[in-house]
Amino acid sequence: MTSSNMTCEAFDAALPDYLEGTLDGARRGSVEQHLGECVRCASLLRDIENISKEAAAMPDLVPSRDLWQGIEARIAAPVIPFAARPERQRHFAPAWMGIAAAALIVSTAGITYMLTARSFGPGQGGTVAQIAPRANQTQSNGGPDSDATATSPNRGAGSTQLNRAPSRLEASDVTPGRPPRTPASLVSQSNADRAHSDLVYGREIDMLQRIVSQRRTELDSSTVAIIEKNLKIIDAAIEQSRAALARDPASRMLDQQLTHALDKKVELLRTAAMLRAST
Amino acid sequence: MAAASNLARKAVSDSTDVALAAGGDRQAFERLYRTHANRVFSLCARMSGSRTRGEELTQDVFVRTWEKLPQFRGESAFSTWLHRLAVNVVLNARKSEGKQASRTDQSEEDEEPWDQVARAPMHIERMDLANAIAKLPAGARNIFVLHDVEGYKHEEIAEMMGITSGGSKAQLHRARLLLREALER
Repeated sequence: MTSSNMTCEAFDAALPDYLEGTLDGARRGSVEQHLGECVRCASLLRDIENISKEAAAMPDLVPSRDLWQGIEARIAAPVIPFAARPERQRHFAPAWMGIAAAALIVSTAGITYMLTARSFGPGQGGTVAQIAPRANQTQSNGGPDSDATATSPNRGAGSTQLNRAPSRLEASDVTPGRPPRTPASLVSQSNADRAHSDLVYGREIDMLQRIVSQRRTELDSSTVAIIEKNLKIIDAAIEQSRAALARDPASRMLDQQLTHALDKKVELLRTAAMLRAST
Repeated sequence: MAAASNLARKAVSDSTDVALAAGGDRQAFERLYRTHANRVFSLCARMSGSRTRGEELTQDVFVRTWEKLPQFRGESAFSTWLHRLAVNVVLNARKSEGKQASRTDQSEEDEEPWDQVARAPMHIERMDLANAIAKLPAGARNIFVLHDVEGYKHEEIAEMMGITSGGSKAQLHRARLLLREALER
C-alpha cells in the first residue's frame, strides 16, 4: 500500500528508527502521515509497541526448585584459608595442575631425600646417639602416620639403638656440658599440632571429596581423569612427607612440606568442586 | 515513596551482605542469592529459551559471583553488577554451545516471509509471549530479552555481545517481527 509520501516498504525500513525516536523531523512527519492513512502499517506499529510493553512488564520467573544447595556445594568455602592467593590461580588449566603437582612431588622427594640422607646416611658424623625412647615415641604417636612408619626403610633396625647420624635436634641432645633439650616433649607437642592439623585437613578433604564424587558425572571425563591423576601425585607426595616426618617428627621443614602437600590437595579438590558442569 | 524506601533498604542490606560474602560468609551470600535469584533466573531462562537451562545457568552465575565478589568495588549497585555478570555467563555459555546455536539461527532462514496483510490488533497473553520468546533464534532472543525485557540500551548490548549498535537494532526489530508473527498464529 502507498500513501501520499511513503510506501509501506519505506515505512518498514524507517520503523526501527521511528521506534527508537532517532528519525529527523521530516522523516518522522512522513511516517506519521503514512500511519494515519495505512491500516496495515498502523496495525504493525501498534502490535510491536504492545509486544515491547508486555515484555517490559513480564514478572520475574521462579525456579522450579531451590538452587541454593547446588550453589553451596560448589562454593564450599575453605576451612583453611590460602594466604594471599592470587585470584587467577583459582582457574588454572589442567596442564598447570599437572606441572604444579609434579613440582610438588619433586620438591617433596628432594627435600625428603636431603633430610633423610643427612639423618640416616651411613658413615656421616660418626656420632652414635641413643635414641630408643625417641624411636618408641615416634611409633606410639604415629596415629595416621603409623602406616607410613611401617614402610620406613629403618623398620626392623631395632628399637633400642640405631646406628645413624643425629639430626640437628638429636646432635644438641648429646652435646656434652649442655642441658639436654627435650625432643620428646617437642615431638609430643608437634604431634599434637599435627594431629589437630590432620583432623582439620581430613574433614575438609572428606567434604570436598564427597562434593567432587557427587559432581563426577557432571564433569567432562577428560577433566576428571586429569584431576584423579594429579590427586594420585599429590597423595604420593603426602605419603612421602608423612613417612619422612614419622622418622623425624621434629623437622619443621618436613612438617611444612606435608602442610604444603595437603594445601595442594585441598586446592585441587576445591577447584574441582567449583568447576562448571560440562555441557 | 514506599517503593523508593524499599529499594534504598535493599541496597543497604545488599552492601552489608556483599561485604560479608566477599570475606567468605556463606550465609550472607545465601541472603544475596535469595534476594536476587528470581531476577537472575528470569534473565537466564529467557535468554537461554529454557527453564531447565536457566536453572543451570543461574547456578553458574552465583558460583561465578562468589568467585568474583572480592573484585566488586561498589562502583555500581550490586544488582547492576550481578545482572551484567549474569549476561556475560549466559553469552559465554552460548559461545561454548556455538554449533547448536548456529543451527538454531539457521532455522530463521527457513521462515516464511512476513505476511503483510493487515490484521486486527492482537491480544497478547503473557504465557504466549514467553513461549514465543523462547522459540526465537538465539541471537534475536538475547537482544530482545536484553533490550525489551531487561531495559539495556543498544550501546550496552553491543558492548556485551561484541556487535555494533546498528546490528543490535536490526536484530531487535527482527525479533519483534518474528514475535508478532508467532503470536498471531
